Order: sequence, then C-alpha cells, then structure tokens
Amino acid sequence: MDNNITLLSEDLASSFDDIKIVFTDQRMIIMNCRKDSVISLLSYLKNLRYDHLALISCVDRIKENAFELIYILSAYTEDVVKGGINLIVKTELIRDKAEMDTVISVFENAEPYERELHELFGVYFKGHPRLTRLLLDREYPVPPFRKDFDTRKYVRDIFDNVPSVEVKKLKNERT
Amino acid sequence: MDRNNIIKWLKFPGEMGQKYSLHALYFCTGCGIIEIPPTITTRWDAERFGVIPVSTPRQANLFLITGYVSVKTLRYIIRSYEQMPEPKYTVGFGSCPVNGGMYWDSYNTIKHLDKYIPVDGWIAGCMPRPEAVFVAVTHLWTLIDKGMANGYKKYREEYKQYRANQEQILGELEWPFLF
Amino acid sequence: MVALVFETFLVVLLACIIGLFFLGLARKITARIHWRYGPPVYQPVIDIIKLFNQTSMSHGVLFELGILISLAGSVVVLLFLPFARICPLSSSGGLLVVLYLMLISPLGLALSGGESANPNVSIGISRKFLLAFGYEVPLLLILLAVMTHYDTISLSEIANKQISSGWSLFQLPLILSGIAYILILPAVLGLRPFEMIQAPQEISSGPYAEYSGKFLAFAMIQHAFDLFIGISLFVNLFLGGAGNMGYFFIKMIIVLIIMIFVNAVFPRFRIEQAIRYLWTWPASLAFAGLIIVLVVN
Repeated sequence: MDNNITLLSEDLASSFDDIKIVFTDQRMIIMNCRKDSVISLLSYLKNLRYDHLALISCVDRIKENAFELIYILSAYTEDVVKGGINLIVKTELIRDKAEMDTVISVFENAEPYERELHELFGVYFKGHPRLTRLLLDREYPVPPFRKDFDTRKYVRDIFDNVPSVEVKKLKNERT
Repeated sequence: MDRNNIIKWLKFPGEMGQKYSLHALYFCTGCGIIEIPPTITTRWDAERFGVIPVSTPRQANLFLITGYVSVKTLRYIIRSYEQMPEPKYTVGFGSCPVNGGMYWDSYNTIKHLDKYIPVDGWIAGCMPRPEAVFVAVTHLWTLIDKGMANGYKKYREEYKQYRANQEQILGELEWPFLF
Repeated sequence: MVALVFETFLVVLLACIIGLFFLGLARKITARIHWRYGPPVYQPVIDIIKLFNQTSMSHGVLFELGILISLAGSVVVLLFLPFARICPLSSSGGLLVVLYLMLISPLGLALSGGESANPNVSIGISRKFLLAFGYEVPLLLILLAVMTHYDTISLSEIANKQISSGWSLFQLPLILSGIAYILILPAVLGLRPFEMIQAPQEISSGPYAEYSGKFLAFAMIQHAFDLFIGISLFVNLFLGGAGNMGYFFIKMIIVLIIMIFVNAVFPRFRIEQAIRYLWTWPASLAFAGLIIVLVVN
C-alpha cells in the first residue's frame, strides 16, 4: 500500500506543478489545488482509474473569508478494491463571491451535490443545468449552513411568532 | 378494558366501536417510525388492542405523528389529516412534536404541532418504547369515554385560526378552505 | 312464497354472520401462527360498528351505486348456493348462472373505482379482473366435468346425489378436477399467494382505497360474502354438502383453516406469475379431468 501511495504521489507531483500533497495515510491522500485546475486534475484522476465521485462537500472558513470545496474520489476496480485509497481534492473559493465551474463534464453525478451546495451555502456553479432548490422548502435570507446565519434568531422570528389556537368551551362536553 | 361489557355496547355503540377499533395511518413521519414496526409485530402485539396499520387516510381513525415535523412534511400531514373521516384522533409521538425536542433551534422544523393541527394526546420520550404506545392507547380510551377527545371538533370550530397559522408557515396553500 | 322470502333472509343473515366470523377467525389464527395473541374473534363486528359511526366521503352518485351493485351481486349469488338443504333459488339455472353472476361484484367495484380519481384503485381493479380471467378458465373446465358426471346443472341436485354416492373428491373420474379446484381455491377466495388485489403495502388496499365510513362497511360485508361463497361452492361440489347445518359448518371451517394456513406462510405472486400458473397446472389438470369424465360417461 505504501508503495502504491508513494507511486501515486510522485506521479501527481510530476504531472501537475501547482498541487500540494498535504496529508497521506494508508488509505488517503489529501491534496490542495487551485480553483482553475480542478477540472483537469479530476479528469486525469478519472482516467487513472479513480472514476467514482463519492461526495462534494464544503467547509465555511469564516475567519479566512473562504469556502473550502472538497471532492472525494475513490476507485472500484480490481486491484485496488482490497486496499482502496480515497483521494480528497480541496480548493478554496473567496467567500464573498463564491463561484466555481461545474464538474459535470467529468463526473455526471455531481449534479445533485452541486445543487445541494448552492442551496445550503450559496456557491454558484457556472454551467450547471438546473440550480434549483433540492432539500428545503423555502427561501432563507442567508444560506442556512453559513456560519453567520443565526438559527436561534430565525426560530424566534419565524416559528415562535405563530400564535397558539384559542379554543372556546365547546357545548355538549360530557366531562 | 371493558370490551366484554354488553350493556355499555348497547348504550354507547359508537364510542365503544371507536375505542376498540383504532386503525392507525401508516404515515412514517420522522425518525420515530422505527418504534412502530416492533409495536405492531409479534413481540408487542398491538392487534389485540384493535390497532392495525392501514395504508390510506380514508380508512384511518388514528394519526400517529412520530418524530420531528419538518416544513415539507407539515404540508402533507395537513393534507392527510384533512382526508381522514371524522371522528379522528391525533397523538403526538415523541418529544419533537411537543416543543421541538432535539431540534428546538432548527431552521426547518416546526416546534409546536398543536398550532397547526389539533392534537389529543402526547407521548413523551425520544423514542418512546412500545409499552408507551399501549399506555397512550388506553389513555385515549378513557378520554373517548369522557368525551374529551374532540380534536376534530376543535378543528371544525377554529378552522380560521388553524388555517392562518398554516399559511403563515407554509405560504399560500393550494387546497381550498375545508370548512 | 312466504317460505321463499323467509329462506332468503335466513340465508343472507347466516352468510353475513358466518362470513364475519370467518374473517375474525382468519385474523386470530394468523396471529397465533405468528406466536402472538391477536384480536378477539368478533373484531370484524367491532370494525363494522365503528365504520357505521364514521362519516362517509362520497365521490358522487356512481361511487355510491357501485358498492351497492357489488354487494347486491354477492347476495344474488348466495341465493343459488345450497346451504344444507336451504336453497331459495334451486330450480333456476344453477351452476351456469352462478358462473356468470360471480362477476357482478368486481364490476360494481370497478364502477365506483372509476368514479374515484385514485390510480391505486384502477391498478387494484385491473388486477382483480385479470385474476378472475385467470381462474375462470380452470374453473369452467372443472364445472363442466362435474356437470357432465352428475348429468345436471342444479347445485342442490349435485349436493343431494353425493349423499348416496359419496364425496365427489373421492370418486374416480372426478379426482383430477378436485385436485385442480384445490389448487385454484386461494385465487377464488383472494388469499395469499393470490392476494395481489388488496396489497396494502404496494397499492394501498387496491379497490378499497377510497372507501370510508359506511361504504367501507359494505365492502367488508361483501368481502365476507365472497369468502362464504367461495368456500360454500367448493363444499357443495366436492365435499358433499351436508344434510344439516352443523355438519356443513364444520366442513367449511376445515377448508377455511387449511386456506388460512397457506395464507399465513406464503408471500404474494405478481399478477403475470399468477396467470401463468393458473393457466398451466390447474388448467391442464382440469382439462385432463374433463376428458376422463367424457370418456367414462
């Protein structure tokens, strides 16, 4: 396994010169790259046999004023299935103007993940065919997973303002 | 349990029938539905109380709201509740319908179910055990005997207030006024 | 004339009571097979009392008419079946009339199902008709064999002739037809493995999905009548319908218990599997039985 990971790290470091391998483990390689080279890196990894996009996730780093997009890839072919490696690709976006190209051209199943991130974080994906609401039922003033969305204030304003139902005493109640 | 009391059957047949034949709507609302299959299968048998699950609201008597109610689910709970024939009874199952429970500060769940549909009784717990379901059913029987389980009458009388509350949370509703 | 009216009411009342008792007994026996206690045996009576106390949501005149036609169809078939020497319409047609009157109750359900705008109901009704289409083929061959062997179409004469010559099931020309009838009996009654018309988990109770209140009570009573009719036809044709009511009742209960045992264990077939089964094995057995009867007589 170590052999495999070191081979892969050297291979990546030689093909792309703007990625940084941050962390390796027996089962995991985490690499950082710039936002513009994500698509070429993902298509290279897909041809290399990592052809399953497991998840696209996002972390709100409010202190550094950035969103961190995380792409998790894995491989399901024969020789790696016994000791599968997960590849994690991280990029950073500016928080006030969070825009990113969609990776649907490389992985078609990225469509619902990007829709979810658009709804919950407010990240706009250029080229996405259908950026509409997926999980929630209403529009929020601030996308709700951001750290500057005050949930308690929202609950106090919206849900606690609903009045209780006043009931008059009914006739024919046999107590 | 006074199911053998023939005199009572002859005097109040409607109420005795409602008590001992509660057909529960099998609407799996939230995470609390995981406690219903053990209740209706072999180990804690609910059929000896007359409680069986049915799959359509037209045949149902009892509505168990198990678990948290998100805003999307509330829309369909209201539609199912309005399709049930009267007399009908609602039981809030778990602590989430009571006051929000574990999701008391969530941006997408409603906190007090009582403001949107009338509820006859509550079962506390997260999740309540199947024995708690039986305690609730027997308590509902005593309420039906005394005539105090009249949530559906409350809904009929105070429909304007309920509808205003529902529209405040859900926006414009597609179905017309029921009463 | 007065005796005829009295017999009619007696048969309908007894069929209602016995049918509801059979439904409750089915639930109780299934519960005991599952190692649990189950409802009391009179639970369908409690259900019907509750249903008459509920408001009924109606979808129009045809909706209410449909369930009444269905109930009436079942009652009419009842009058042709002898119940231990009581048979109100014994001299008018017999088996041929029963064969085509048995299809009025699904037609009534289809009428009210078309009026209610639920797609689950239409799926349930189509399954019911397809299943009827499936079991009618072997059933017709079996009835033809029985009618040819006894040389009559009247059910009460068939029942009377078995008193002297023994049960039809054990008479040599009719054994294959009897076995074929046992194989299609769950389909006629609507029990598992042929319970796909009323599948609560798949199509939310099929044809009964839009009934509430008194219409559902009528539907339950019609289901009880259907159960009674299916078992009574089998007992009269093949088990020698008895002389007195107690003996008849015991025979019906034994057939019911065997069917409930099968019902508690099997899952459901799909409708194309059911028709493929019904048109191969029971149909070929019934056809062979018909050939044997024609050759012998």
